[in-house]
Amino acid sequence: MSAALLLLPAVLILAAGFLYPVALLGRISLNRTSDIGAMEPDLTLATFEKVVGDDFTWELAWNTATLAAGSALAATALALPVVLLIRAAPPRWRGLLSLMAIAPLLVSGTARIVGWLAILGDQGLINAMLEGLGLTSEPVRLINNWTGVRIGLTESLMPYACLVLIAGLGRLDPRLEEAAATLGATRTKTFLRVTLPLAAPALLAAFLLTFVLGVSAFITPRLMGGGRVFVVATEIFDLALETVDWPAAAALAMLLLGALAVALVLRTALMRSARA
Amino acid sequence: MTHLRLEGLTRRFAGTPHPAVDGVSLELPRGALLALLGPSGCGKTTTLRMIAGLEVPDTGRVVVADRDVTALPPHRRNMGVVFQSYALFPHMTAAANVAFGLEMRGIPRAERQARVAEALDLVGLRDYAARKPSKLSGGQQQRVALARALAIRPDLLLLDEPLSALDAKLREGVRDEIRALQQRVGATTVFVTHDQTEALAMADLVAVMNEGRVEQLGTPEEVFERPATRFVATFVGRAARLPGKVEAPGVVHCGAVAVKAAATPAPGASVELFIRPHHIRPLAEGHSADNALDAQVLRRTFTGDVVALECATPAGTLTAELHGGTPGASAAVGSRLRLGFAAQDVRVFPA
Repeated sequence: MSAALLLLPAVLILAAGFLYPVALLGRISLNRTSDIGAMEPDLTLATFEKVVGDDFTWELAWNTATLAAGSALAATALALPVVLLIRAAPPRWRGLLSLMAIAPLLVSGTARIVGWLAILGDQGLINAMLEGLGLTSEPVRLINNWTGVRIGLTESLMPYACLVLIAGLGRLDPRLEEAAATLGATRTKTFLRVTLPLAAPALLAAFLLTFVLGVSAFITPRLMGGGRVFVVATEIFDLALETVDWPAAAALAMLLLGALAVALVLRTALMRSARA
Repeated sequence: MTHLRLEGLTRRFAGTPHPAVDGVSLELPRGALLALLGPSGCGKTTTLRMIAGLEVPDTGRVVVADRDVTALPPHRRNMGVVFQSYALFPHMTAAANVAFGLEMRGIPRAERQARVAEALDLVGLRDYAARKPSKLSGGQQQRVALARALAIRPDLLLLDEPLSALDAKLREGVRDEIRALQQRVGATTVFVTHDQTEALAMADLVAVMNEGRVEQLGTPEEVFERPATRFVATFVGRAARLPGKVEAPGVVHCGAVAVKAAATPAPGASVELFIRPHHIRPLAEGHSADNALDAQVLRRTFTGDVVALECATPAGTLTAELHGGTPGASAAVGSRLRLGFAAQDVRVFPA
């Protein structure tokens, strides 16, 4: 009883901040949009039918899934060497290095994107370097397109991947790698046969977390896509605030939520089978 | 024939005032078992890790069979290491763990399987080949670790506190098993322990370490009976410790009497006398000894096969350990007797 009482604040916050808005959103998604664009109260699945039946929705879903999967994969792959380095560092440096790996989380996402504009823009750092070295004569388009969004999203997901991997690999006994070395394994063999298989659950967890965050990412596709990159999150925003078609925005949001819930269930099942 | 030679091994860790290992030199004949014995932090594990190549010495050399291996990385040293935590690969079966080192050596599958079976037979775990480490008991994991280390037919077998994770009941049995196995395969072995009983029972040679240095290297008997330093006398076995002053060569003034000792520092030096309880005997009527003291029993402790008599003597408090049934073993608290011990059994160290 008393333990359940301890959960009460969390339950209240969750109810007020998540369940209520989602319920509201669910209700709105069942409303109808009239021909002149006004929302009319109703209880119909017409909006869902319209959204699901629209090829553009599926294009958005594909864009979103591939963007999130690619960025999550890149973020996890780039975080692994960082975390291996932290793990190999002397103990007194580990805290500081871990903090540095997740420090980008302390900076607002918008501020980081402004930083990327300065680096990736047509007159940005990278293009200046490429031209200075005589490798290119025209600026390479690294921003306001899918490339820019992939770069930005990967960077913004990396701290989360690092966080998961630091926790996951922290439990990996360094004696195991030493044992492999004494048995004749080179560094590469040790990594492939011991470190990597034992890191697999942590890598999977990092990928799934960053994938889910990538699917729901809004700021990066919005600001680094330059209006040319369309994903589910940006579409929901546009439907709600540009087109002012609330039922459609709500329906799309509910579908995204449903997809993420399915992903979560799959993840749990996957983790359980991996442990067994 | 010398198989392992350490020459002035030194290792200092950043941010520590004293070297963890400070000029360790020793030689070990082929097939012998050396115990590195000492309290925690004495540098014994660091020494072992430098032999394995897991730690790089600041100075000094590791020489195996006349070949300097100091600069070789661990994977090129061919040393079988059993870690304190066993460090079995949790994602592999017992057989795959044992096969790992053979695979790394590119040994063909058929021979590999035969050698894995042989190694698991050696430790009596053939029926457990398909189990993951998590499905094995502590003792079984330990034996898989041993089989894994032996399967590669190592130049040296290195054991880091291999018994410390086992419960006390198992320890003695496993201890004897490891010793028997080591002798059967004839592996030159270095064994790290903080437990003197383990070291004395298993080793051909014991190196007693303290503060990064080897205080004494000798057979278990030498280390126990003729400790070279005060530290060794204190750390290995129990002893009565009496303060005194050297009066003349071979004579130490101690309490109210003069005690005869085999070897003493120069007269005038302040010293400490160490006398082991089993060297002190009650003297029967008419018998004599180099040192004979009147004593009164202060406390009598019966521990089954041994009776300990704590006695007040003119030299100070001495404890005699007697086997049950020997004369004097039945002496009651308060009773008087004469205690005797030989001059050669009195160790004298500068205080």
